[in-house]
Amino acid sequence: MDDASAIHPPTIVVVEDDEDIRDLIVSQFARENYHLLAASGVAALRDIYAREKIDLIILDLNLPDGDGLSLCRDMRSEGMETPIIMVTARGTAIDRVLGLELGADDYLTKPFEPRELLARVRNLLKRSRGEGQGKAVSGQRRLARFGPWRLDLFQRRLIAPDDSLVMLSAAEFRLLGRFIDEPNKVLSREELLPERRATVAFDRSIDLQVSRLRQKLAAIEGGDALILTVRSEGYVLASPVAYE
Amino acid sequence: MSDIFRRYRYYVVPGSMAGRIFVLLAAGIAASAIISLFIANMMRRADFDHIRAERVIASAVDVAERLRQDPGGTEEMLRRRLIFGATLAPLGVGINRPEAGLAQELAERLGPGSLPEVGQVPSGLCFKRKRGPLGPAAAGIADLPPPDCWIVRFTDPGGQRRAIALGLPRLSMPTDATFNLIDLLPIIALSAVLSIIVSRQIAKPLRRLEKAAADFTLSHDPRAIPEEGPDEVRAALSTFNLMQERVRAGFRERTQLLAAISHDLQTPLTRLRLRLEQVKDKELRERLLEDHRAMQNLVREGLDLAGSVEVREDWAVIDIDSLLTSMAEDAEDVGQPVQFLSGCGGVARVKPNALTRCVGNLVDNAVKYGGSAEISCTRGNGRITISVRDHGPGIDEKDLDEMFEPFTRGEAGQPGGRPGTGIGLTIARTLAMTFGGSVALANAEGGGLIAMVDFEE
Repeated sequence: MDDASAIHPPTIVVVEDDEDIRDLIVSQFARENYHLLAASGVAALRDIYAREKIDLIILDLNLPDGDGLSLCRDMRSEGMETPIIMVTARGTAIDRVLGLELGADDYLTKPFEPRELLARVRNLLKRSRGEGQGKAVSGQRRLARFGPWRLDLFQRRLIAPDDSLVMLSAAEFRLLGRFIDEPNKVLSREELLPERRATVAFDRSIDLQVSRLRQKLAAIEGGDALILTVRSEGYVLASPVAYE
Repeated sequence: MSDIFRRYRYYVVPGSMAGRIFVLLAAGIAASAIISLFIANMMRRADFDHIRAERVIASAVDVAERLRQDPGGTEEMLRRRLIFGATLAPLGVGINRPEAGLAQELAERLGPGSLPEVGQVPSGLCFKRKRGPLGPAAAGIADLPPPDCWIVRFTDPGGQRRAIALGLPRLSMPTDATFNLIDLLPIIALSAVLSIIVSRQIAKPLRRLEKAAADFTLSHDPRAIPEEGPDEVRAALSTFNLMQERVRAGFRERTQLLAAISHDLQTPLTRLRLRLEQVKDKELRERLLEDHRAMQNLVREGLDLAGSVEVREDWAVIDIDSLLTSMAEDAEDVGQPVQFLSGCGGVARVKPNALTRCVGNLVDNAVKYGGSAEISCTRGNGRITISVRDHGPGIDEKDLDEMFEPFTRGEAGQPGGRPGTGIGLTIARTLAMTFGGSVALANAEGGGLIAMVDFEE
C-alpha cells in the first residue's frame, strides 16, 4: 500500500460462484483499503466491467455461466489488460501453464492462505502500475528467443534448437529473466539482484549464479558467448530477444 | 534317483518353450523318418522275397508239370541240361537252410502228397562248369555273376522223389538305407530347421504377450497388443487386451473418485481457512490452523496421486543434470539441506514435470525422514538411475516394499516418523510409471536410505 492507493483505492473484482468464499474474500480485502466488488459469474463481471474502471480481477475458474479460462482468453483478445489472478482448485502444472498462456497474470490454488492472496494482489498492482500502459501484461508471450535458445517463460525451462530441455533453478530463471527484459544493456550486480541491494557489493553469489547460468547456456553450439562480463560494471546479454 | 533327475532335468530338457518344442520336434521328426524308412525297407524286403519265391515256384511248377506229362523225356532232358535253368540236382548236396514258407507254397501248387523241400545253395555246387570270359569285354562289363542255385525236392504224382536244381539269374537286395548315417543326415538337418521355424512361430505371439504383460506392470497407460496370428493366439491376445482395458477402467474409476472427493473438499477447506481469520482466540486459532493444514495436505496429495496416474504431459528430451542441479539449488535457497553430488551427463526422453515431481517427492521424503538429501545420478546399460540418499535411520529390510503402499509411514518410534500423509512414495512411483520409470528403495551402506528412480536413457 503506497500513498496513491490511499487517495484512490484500487478497484478489485472478486469473481466467485461460492457465496461464502466470495463474501469472505471481500471482507478480508475490505480491511486493507481496497474498493471491492463481487461478481457471481461471467455475466455479472461483464456488467461491472461496462460500468467501472477495474484495476484487478480475482477469477475463479468454475463459474456457473461459463469457464474462467475462456473468459480470460476472450477478455485478452478484446484488448483488456486488467491484471487477472486465477484462483482455482485445479492445481497441476499444466493447468497453471494453460491459465498463464490464456492471459492470467498469476495463479493460486485453493485452498490458499489469505495473506498469500493479499501479497500477490499487491505485487500485481504494483507491477501493473510500474510498467505503465505500454507493456503491462506479457500474457500471451510464452517463449523468449535469444541466441540459439528459447526460454519458456511459464515453465522455467530452456529449450534447445532440437527441442530438448535444460532445466533452470528459480534463481537462474530470475537472473535470465532480468537479462531478457533488457537485452544488450549492461546490468550492474545491484540491478540483477535487487532483493539483495544492501549486501550485493560484497556478495559473490551473483558471480556464481552467472557462471552457473553461463555453463548451462554453453551446452549447445552458439550458446557460449551470450552473457558477457563488463569489467567493474556488471554483465550484459549480447543478443537480441524476440518473443513468440 | 528322482532327485538326480530333477537336478539335471534342465540340462536335458531346455527351459524355454521354444527349446522344448525344438527338441521334441527335431527328435520326433528324425525318429518318424527313421521308422518310416525302416518300415519301407521291410516291405521292400518282403516284396523282394515274394518275387524271388514266385520265380522259384514258377520254375519248379513248370519242371514238375513236364515231369508229370513225360517223366522219362524230361528226366533225360534234365540230365543233359537241355532245359534252360533247370538240371538234376547234383548228388550229395543237402539243403542247409530249408525255406519252409516257400516249401508250403510249393506244396499247395504241387498237390498234398508232394512233400516239397526247397532251399538255396551256393551256386558253385550246382554249376561246376568254369565260366571263363566269352571274349574281350567292354569297359564296365564284368564277368556275369553265376546264377543263384535253388534245390527243390518233391515227390511227383508217380510217387518218385525228384531233386532238381534251378538256376535263376542272380537277384540281390540293394543295401539297407535305414541306419546309414550319411543318408540320414539331410533328414535330421531338415527336421532341425523345420522345428526351429515352428518353435519360433509358436513362441513369437507368446513373447509378445509376455512383453505386453510386463509393460502393463510398469505403466498405467499401456498400448493394446495388435491382435494377429492364428485363431488361438488371437483369442488369447484379445482376452489379454480386454483384461488390460478392464483393469485400467477400474483404476481410472478409483482415481476419478479420489480426485472428485479431494476436489470437492477444496471449497469447504477454502471457506474454513477464510473463516479461521475471524477466530479471535489466538491459541485456538493456531490449533485450528494446524488441523486445517493437515487436512489440506491430505487433499492436495490425494489430488496429486489422482493426477499422477494419467499425466497429460508431452514427452520431451531433457538434460538430467540440469534438472537435478536446479532442484538442489532451489531447495538450498529455501534453506533445505539438499546437495547435488555428481551428475551423469545423460539426456533422456521423459515427461519432465512428472520426473521433476517424482524426484521432488523423494527429496522431500529424504529431508523429512532422514534430515538431509544427497542427489546423484549414474548411467549404464542404456538406463539412467537418479539416487536420493539421506543419512537417517533407514528402514527395516522387510518393510521396504510396504513403503510404497499409500498411507504407510515409517514407524512412529522413528525420529521424524509419523508426520506427512504417507502418500509421497506412492505418488513418486505412479509418476515414474507415466514415463516408463520405476522407483526402488534400499538401505545405504553406512546407514541411511537410498531412493532410486530408474528409467531408459
